[in-house]
Amino acid sequence: MKEILASLPRLNDKYSIFSCITEDAEIGDSEFLFSAKDGMTSKDMMTRCGSKILDGYRPTFDATAIERMRNAGGKLIGKCNMDEFGFGTFSTTSAYGIPKNPFDLERSCGGSSGGSACAAAVIDGHISLGASTGGSICCPASFCGVYGLVPTYGRVSRYGLVDYGNSLDKIGLISSDPERIARFLPVISGKDTKDSTSCGQPKLELKGKRIKTIGVPEEPLAGVSKEVLSSFESSLDALRSMGIEVNRIKMPSLKYAMPAYFILATSEASTNLASFVGMRYGQQDGDLSLKFDDYFTYFRTKYFGEEAKRRILLGTYTRMAGFRDRYYSKALKVRLHIIEYYKKIFSEHDAVLTPTMPFVSPRFDEISKMTPIESYSADYLTCPPDLAGMPHLSVPCGYNRDGMPIGMQFVTDHWEEDSLITFAKDWDSAFDVRKPEVSL
Amino acid sequence: MKIGLEIHVQLPTASKMFCSCPTTDAEAPNTHVCPVCLGMPGAKPVLNRKVMEYGIMLAKMLNCKIPETTWFSRKTYFYPDMSKGVQITQYDNPVGGKGVYYLHGKKPIGITKIQLEEDPGKTKRVGDQSSLVDYNRAGTPLSEIVTDPDFSSPAEAREFLKQLIADIRHTIDLPGDGERSIRCDCNISIGKERVEVKNVTGLRNVERALTFEAIRQTKVLKAGGKVERETRRFDEERGVTISVRKKEFEADYGYINEPDLGVFHIGELVRSITIKESPVNMALRLSREYGISEKTADQMVLTSMNLAATFETIAKTTGSPQTAVSWATGTMAANWKAFEASGKDPKGIVDIMEKFAAGKITDVETDMELKAYMTGADIGAIKAQSADLNQIICSYLDEHPEIVDEIRKNEKAINRVIGHVMKETGGRYSSSDIVSATKGALASKL
Amino acid sequence: MERTTVERVARAAHFALSEEEFEKYSKDLAEIFDYFKILDEAPEGEGYGVNPLEVGDVLRDDVPGIFIDPYELLKDMKTYENYVRGPRLL
Repeated sequence: MKEILASLPRLNDKYSIFSCITEDAEIGDSEFLFSAKDGMTSKDMMTRCGSKILDGYRPTFDATAIERMRNAGGKLIGKCNMDEFGFGTFSTTSAYGIPKNPFDLERSCGGSSGGSACAAAVIDGHISLGASTGGSICCPASFCGVYGLVPTYGRVSRYGLVDYGNSLDKIGLISSDPERIARFLPVISGKDTKDSTSCGQPKLELKGKRIKTIGVPEEPLAGVSKEVLSSFESSLDALRSMGIEVNRIKMPSLKYAMPAYFILATSEASTNLASFVGMRYGQQDGDLSLKFDDYFTYFRTKYFGEEAKRRILLGTYTRMAGFRDRYYSKALKVRLHIIEYYKKIFSEHDAVLTPTMPFVSPRFDEISKMTPIESYSADYLTCPPDLAGMPHLSVPCGYNRDGMPIGMQFVTDHWEEDSLITFAKDWDSAFDVRKPEVSL
Repeated sequence: MKIGLEIHVQLPTASKMFCSCPTTDAEAPNTHVCPVCLGMPGAKPVLNRKVMEYGIMLAKMLNCKIPETTWFSRKTYFYPDMSKGVQITQYDNPVGGKGVYYLHGKKPIGITKIQLEEDPGKTKRVGDQSSLVDYNRAGTPLSEIVTDPDFSSPAEAREFLKQLIADIRHTIDLPGDGERSIRCDCNISIGKERVEVKNVTGLRNVERALTFEAIRQTKVLKAGGKVERETRRFDEERGVTISVRKKEFEADYGYINEPDLGVFHIGELVRSITIKESPVNMALRLSREYGISEKTADQMVLTSMNLAATFETIAKTTGSPQTAVSWATGTMAANWKAFEASGKDPKGIVDIMEKFAAGKITDVETDMELKAYMTGADIGAIKAQSADLNQIICSYLDEHPEIVDEIRKNEKAINRVIGHVMKETGGRYSSSDIVSATKGALASKL
Repeated sequence: MERTTVERVARAAHFALSEEEFEKYSKDLAEIFDYFKILDEAPEGEGYGVNPLEVGDVLRDDVPGIFIDPYELLKDMKTYENYVRGPRLL
């Protein structure tokens, strides 16, 4: 563990994983190392959520998930780079370094928990806390060739998680080893009186329940690249050979998930980010003799990045009087429909399976040419379970010609993390997961 | 003229609405604060049970429709004292909807809704350079009561507030300085357009602000102008309202649901909560059920709701409301303060009155026994005092027989006797004792 | 998307946008909402929709207490005599 700690600065030079690395080089009584997305508060390190506007924020409290990891013997080694406030699919909107894909440094780690997935891929025996609102764990896990688990909404306390979309945000785990996910999910789960949304959960029980039948919705496959599709189809064969029943199903309503997700996420985000005005924490270097509206406008214009502004504008619009019914209220009702729809599928199948991302990690030069709607669309497979609050898991399932990882995503019913974890363990012994070459 | 009010009442909880910070006065600014009420990134609100209970009690008091399920919303607006940039309030399904409240027991005032929300912090201006913010108040629970535009004059709005505050104080045990903690937004339209005067504190100012607005709008209309739809504030010192912003610059609050708190199924709770009868309702009911005048019933209730309740018990057990009311407004009312301070059981009073009703004791004895029981004074001393007082009155009347004749012609002449006795006794007896003793002594002579 | 609408949104969000930014965001938002049109035809479910899973009746007791030193909380804020300094009000 000491060697890993010592190597962090060099690792970071190469991969831009962390926005902040611990200054405490002692291992002490710690039993394991972990890292956390910088959207979670930590007492000993700044919490900046990839945003310039939060530069200087030193929280006085640990996020519950971080606190529980520490109490279990963990040492927090660093805060991982992320898209600004989670707003992105490629971690390219981070203000503190853009994480580079361990399989090809010219490519993205995915987002928004890009730094976490990168850490999981390149640090031996590592576990990283990520957070997902609409694909932010599964996408980077898929791009970096590791396992990413998003538990049910409310399973892990959000206390200390800087809010993106409060009805969507979930803290989860990313690792190259499913055993570690199995070990740490019970650590971070459970009721927390500081987060009401964590208080309704049934007890997490990992009893080795297995997925026996899978529904594979046909519609989403039309938007997937050839190489991803062919690797996905081979994986279906592998699943069958593991004794899992694979059924093709129809889920036409999945196409509504992406717009409904974006409307809810940005509506909520634009209210959360209303507290960032250059007072109380983070950047506060403005001229207080300005009238408050002007002062706030100055700060927000100067320190929010381009994508953050776009999503705030989007979310402000969708909840505004005159548009609220068409967008915000409608999206809430569509979410309920999608949940009902999933529940119906789960009455006949244990899980729903799709590829995680429609393509392998793109190069940074390709990303810079994407229009907003093109990059939002990249999340169309990961949005639905996140929107519905369903637990989901991305596992590596193949590699393209260039050796870039491809992932597939399992979704189970609310509170059914057990079968996802069992599957990940079974798969890990059946599938040859490649490790990236890490030379420093 | 149409007037409607939005009344903000601080709820008397011990801790804030969404965090455990105390609501008591703090020794310094920003010392009753935590990550939740300061809106620090990552902190989450958790609702105080008592806030929901108070909300339900007030909704019941206002005869509102209370939904089975209620939840909270976020109202987004930017101001230095609004730590989260968002106020947690209610929008869809507030704790109370469509109610009605009777002014003086007669005129129905529609209650649009009652909602629960958090108070912002307090802002101080420093010259014209910057502001100073104290977040101690941020997150204090409020209920906002919104009325329909049912008031026809500023005076009526004030009357309503007076009655409402008394009722609220009684229903949720609001502390004595309740009026100070009540703030109003006043909506008034003379013509078509509505003007809102924000954040007026105190009954008198509400009436002043509304009166000023009524006159201002009337003048504008008479001069052929148009009243603009806008928000104004009230300058207490100058007694005028000042435009703050026009309608088109109203903030876009963009309400959304508050997911951090979830929903609340309050049906059970609503059915389990019973509220105390309000003073106004009690007076109306006593008047109706016992055939006493509204004024007398009001008077009793105003002295104390417990006195009125004791009256009711006596009226029931003795079957004679008229006798009960004359004792309740006489000897009992005169000694009620001392009685409440003593903490004794009102049952003792009822027992004495039952003996009187059964003819076991005379009215003079009843008077003395009540005094002795209620004030804790020794009955012997009271008897001696009473005899002494009676002696003074009688000897004065014997010395001045012409007064008795005069009183026969003009009741008010009794004041000369009372005045004399007061002077003579130099404050040893309460004026009510002297009055009743004088009346008693005269009864045999007239 | 109409210019006045984008202006209204930017004002509500407290952003001062340059002419270029107005153009860029107007175009982006128009494209995004064009894509979102499919929602109009989407079926609707039953319920309240505050959370994806119902979070119900979580309440805390009315017990006061301070668990983090308020002076520690104020350590990185601009203050004057323990007041938090803010911009001009009027």
